[in-house]
Amino acid sequence: MALKTICIVGDEALVKEYIALASSKRYKCTSTPSKTTTLALELTNISIEVKQKNLRRLDKSLKKSIPILSSSVTVTVAEQNTWIKHPERLIGLGALPTLLQGSLLEFAPSSLTTDAVKAAAQVFARSLGKETSLVQDSAGLVLPRILCSLINEACFALGEGIADGTDIDTAMKLGTNYPDGPVHWGMQIGLEQVHAVVAALHRHFGDDRYRAAPLLRSASFQDMI
Amino acid sequence: MISTIGIIGSGTMGSGIAEVAALAGFNVVMNDLSRKALDSGLNRIKQNLNRSVEKDRITAVVATESLARIRTSEEFSPLETADFVIEAAIEDLNIKRDIFQKLDAMLNPEAIFATNTSSLSITSIAATVKRTGNVVGMHFFNPPPLMKLVEVVKGKQTSDETAAVTVELARRMGKAPVICKDTPGFIVNRVARPFYGEALRLLGEGVATVEEIDRIVKLEGGFKMGPFELMDLIGIDVNYAVTKSVYEQFFHEPRFRPHPIQRQMVEAGTLGRKTKKGFYQY
Repeated sequence: MALKTICIVGDEALVKEYIALASSKRYKCTSTPSKTTTLALELTNISIEVKQKNLRRLDKSLKKSIPILSSSVTVTVAEQNTWIKHPERLIGLGALPTLLQGSLLEFAPSSLTTDAVKAAAQVFARSLGKETSLVQDSAGLVLPRILCSLINEACFALGEGIADGTDIDTAMKLGTNYPDGPVHWGMQIGLEQVHAVVAALHRHFGDDRYRAAPLLRSASFQDMI
Repeated sequence: MISTIGIIGSGTMGSGIAEVAALAGFNVVMNDLSRKALDSGLNRIKQNLNRSVEKDRITAVVATESLARIRTSEEFSPLETADFVIEAAIEDLNIKRDIFQKLDAMLNPEAIFATNTSSLSITSIAATVKRTGNVVGMHFFNPPPLMKLVEVVKGKQTSDETAAVTVELARRMGKAPVICKDTPGFIVNRVARPFYGEALRLLGEGVATVEEIDRIVKLEGGFKMGPFELMDLIGIDVNYAVTKSVYEQFFHEPRFRPHPIQRQMVEAGTLGRKTKKGFYQY
């Protein structure tokens, strides 16, 4: 059977993780769209400008029947739809570094997403060995919103000198049975990514509960733990 | 050197801490207001120790010796010899202050007063005793014999030495202590708030159902339990009370704002597993 070619673009850490997994499942991964591309992944969370540019390029280069799975944790699919000519091929994906270690992918269809694209997203997820969940198109989707909010709160606590990073992580692992401490997990995800999700929640909801902890924005984080 | 630990309160927390302390080789004086409460606390300890013997975690000799190290009393006078007191009475500032004031007049001035409070300020509990430097938070998690974590909470006037002795004591009890400042919710009850708060908002906004959110959090995130399963286990009322307390103590900081779904469930009496109905049916 011929290898299926998928085009993967976006934030470096995410592209790396997705290429590693997809390659191991016998996909041919490229960074540019071509005639042989059967599916595209747009994995930019950090820069909306870059994301817009990437999506427009994919939309222009790929036949309109080719589905685009686009990370929608920092911009809703509804907003991304307005950037391209063929929004019906777009479906949101909950892409955040480290989450491919789990066994489920979140997808967020928009009101325009076709059934064929929803089906293609689910087939692709299954081929990667993942279960799927379809959720409403909302900033942060489900797990990235909960997780980044936890990490943000840990950053507030750390920045206020409540405890050191090791103790915060120990407390959360032993006190609430979390699989990893929020400070360590935040470092694994990348603080820029966490900040992008929290900032998107702030923008989306206009609620100060989502303002980013000063530490999330500052490079001094590394020195404090 | 600490050899005798006084424990005020013989409920789930008090008796659990007494069990842990006795197993670690300390002499324990457990105090409560009534003989009935003390007997029920002591019974709980006996049952736990027996179960540990049955499961081969400890020998029958260890269980018997540990139990023999626990004295119980409705009076404060047997606490006089304690080097370290852990207060696990009800969460009421005036009651806790009153206990510490009485002990302050009786105990050796070196003795340390620890409170197992989860929601009150250590600084505030310490305010009415002379030995403010010797008052510290020692927050065990429920049930104390099983949960390794102890938050050692430094109040505004807690001395470094008191905190260090408390950390060392927690270690001798086989626990994993962490140190934190006296701020609402300490570490766990504060940092965990978004786990519940965001899940409730996702539900309220219709982003996903209770079952889907729990499934996503477990499968995608690797959490052992989803937020709704966990709220049902903790009790919706207990979880709501903790959220409200942290929210109010932080002067209505929006990050800790409770959700109307919680209040409505408390009002409806659907409190989770204990009422057989919460986010799920049991």
